[in-house]
Amino acid sequence: MTILIPEEYPKKLIDKNGKRLDGRALDELRPFSCKIGVLANADGSAYVEHGKNKIYAGVYGPREVHPRHLARPDRGIIRVDYRMTTFSVHERKSPAPNRREREISKIIEDALAPTLFLELYPNSAIEVYVQVIAADGGTRCASTTAASLALADAGLPLKSLVAAVAAGKADGEIILDLGDLEDKAGTADVPAAVRMIDEEFTLLQFDGEMTPEEFEKSIKLIKKGAREIFAKQTAAIKEKFDTVRKETEEENKKIEKLVPPEEKITHASGTKEEEKAGEEKSDKAEEIKEEKEDPSDTKEEEKKPKKEKEEKKSEENK
Amino acid sequence: MDTPQVISTVQRKYILDLLKQGKRMDGRGFLDFREVRIDDDLIPKAEGSASVHLGDSFIITGIKYDVGTPFPDSPDEGVATCMAEFIPFASPMFESGPPDVEAVEVARVVDRGIRHGDCIEYKKLCIKAGELVYILFIDMYVMNHAGNLIDTGAISSMTALLTTKLPTAKIEDGKAVWNGGYMLVPINQIPLSVTFGRIQDYVFVDPVIDEELVLDGRVSFAVNEKGQICSMQKSGEITWTEEELIKYSKIAVEKVNELRNKLNLRQYVPKL
Repeated sequence: MTILIPEEYPKKLIDKNGKRLDGRALDELRPFSCKIGVLANADGSAYVEHGKNKIYAGVYGPREVHPRHLARPDRGIIRVDYRMTTFSVHERKSPAPNRREREISKIIEDALAPTLFLELYPNSAIEVYVQVIAADGGTRCASTTAASLALADAGLPLKSLVAAVAAGKADGEIILDLGDLEDKAGTADVPAAVRMIDEEFTLLQFDGEMTPEEFEKSIKLIKKGAREIFAKQTAAIKEKFDTVRKETEEENKKIEKLVPPEEKITHASGTKEEEKAGEEKSDKAEEIKEEKEDPSDTKEEEKKPKKEKEEKKSEENK
Repeated sequence: MDTPQVISTVQRKYILDLLKQGKRMDGRGFLDFREVRIDDDLIPKAEGSASVHLGDSFIITGIKYDVGTPFPDSPDEGVATCMAEFIPFASPMFESGPPDVEAVEVARVVDRGIRHGDCIEYKKLCIKAGELVYILFIDMYVMNHAGNLIDTGAISSMTALLTTKLPTAKIEDGKAVWNGGYMLVPINQIPLSVTFGRIQDYVFVDPVIDEELVLDGRVSFAVNEKGQICSMQKSGEITWTEEELIKYSKIAVEKVNELRNKLNLRQYVPKL
């Protein structure tokens, strides 16, 4: 490949005031946002923007395993396919899968498996497909975050969500959430994923040089970052189910309006002549109005739960 | 594609019954496209990019370039190639692996629409005749498959090409280097395509996925702004009569012009 503009790395990653290239503080995350239910066909899906990373994840399953010999009779398997688009990076990536993508797929599998109840799905596979549309350093972390959300969106029972972020070292400082240039030009990169229910690590890699003390500091920073990401993950899930709830409530209201009271159903389904249909309609409309105005109906409805409560109380007393 | 493409008999009958009444499952007329939604310039590291929804069909296309040697039979012309990849999450029918015949067909049909009909002015993509030319990669990624990927791919490829900013080159010591400027991809004509699906004697445009699974066959036409047909593709194990092909080629020109005017893709051309 010959490209006209070569990628250049700056000599200094942190300025005198302790600010990073994009003006962040040492322990500050890049802008992060996420959304679930973004792909129409997949059983579950998520979209994550982490810095300039743009990542889609989609889940199918549990479903039959292809090829069959990979199936396990005692439990289900999880398969992750992490891929980057050719245009996600500075120099066009070959469309064929490479060793890096295979390895990252594997570590994401290992990062997600401890959150699933795989023993529930013998002979089946849960398949997670991750596509990096735009890459900006830390794609494996953002992909893990997205994949975990997609599993939740698929309605699979989960022990916990997983939130992932990298820490690292640049210009002698420990920093959180490495950007593209910090990743490429820094001295160390520690990508990690945290299972949020017990804050244990489900993904960990290390690339570079660091003392054990610096590693300790990094791991604490990762937990701090993961908590911030986790808050946004849960908010995204709540947002989807809030909209679903609102939609169903609205639809229920519509249905209530459409369905005539029981007595009228029998009336309408009777063998009345068609000529009278028009009259019936106007009758119905009047009756519906009456019902709305009639307070006795609502009172009756209110009474029912009270009665139930009283019954319960009496049972408890017994 | 190991998972067979199947549709229930009930659904098949439903689609056919509707067609007999002159209706379609999503309420469209036989010659109506689904709604199009376009987002441009969404990928920072791509030279150009577009995300296009045609109904629920969803394709993201990005443009990358390389500086390489021209083909020997056109030494002063640049090159553009299309690739399509069906991401497995786009449909339960897709599997990971190298592009299968359907992905190759989408890429090649879109490619032919762009290659001919005076779309790109390839001579302006030449840096040094016989030695250095721009090679454009038009890479389509199918994010969600809800039918008619050829037309969706054509819209997203053209939009991505129109948004593309290429670094301009000068020759130094026989090598191409960046001279600090940018240029647009020289586009004369915007070809778009229309796909007709056929079930028995019913022919309609822009089939959705359920209709596609019932289709006896289809035929796609790419048409440029001059109203000239610049590529065709007949697909499926059926035959078309001379009258039918002539009829639908004329409708294709009308439909594509209508679509092109509606989308106004030149609004996505960036300022340099």
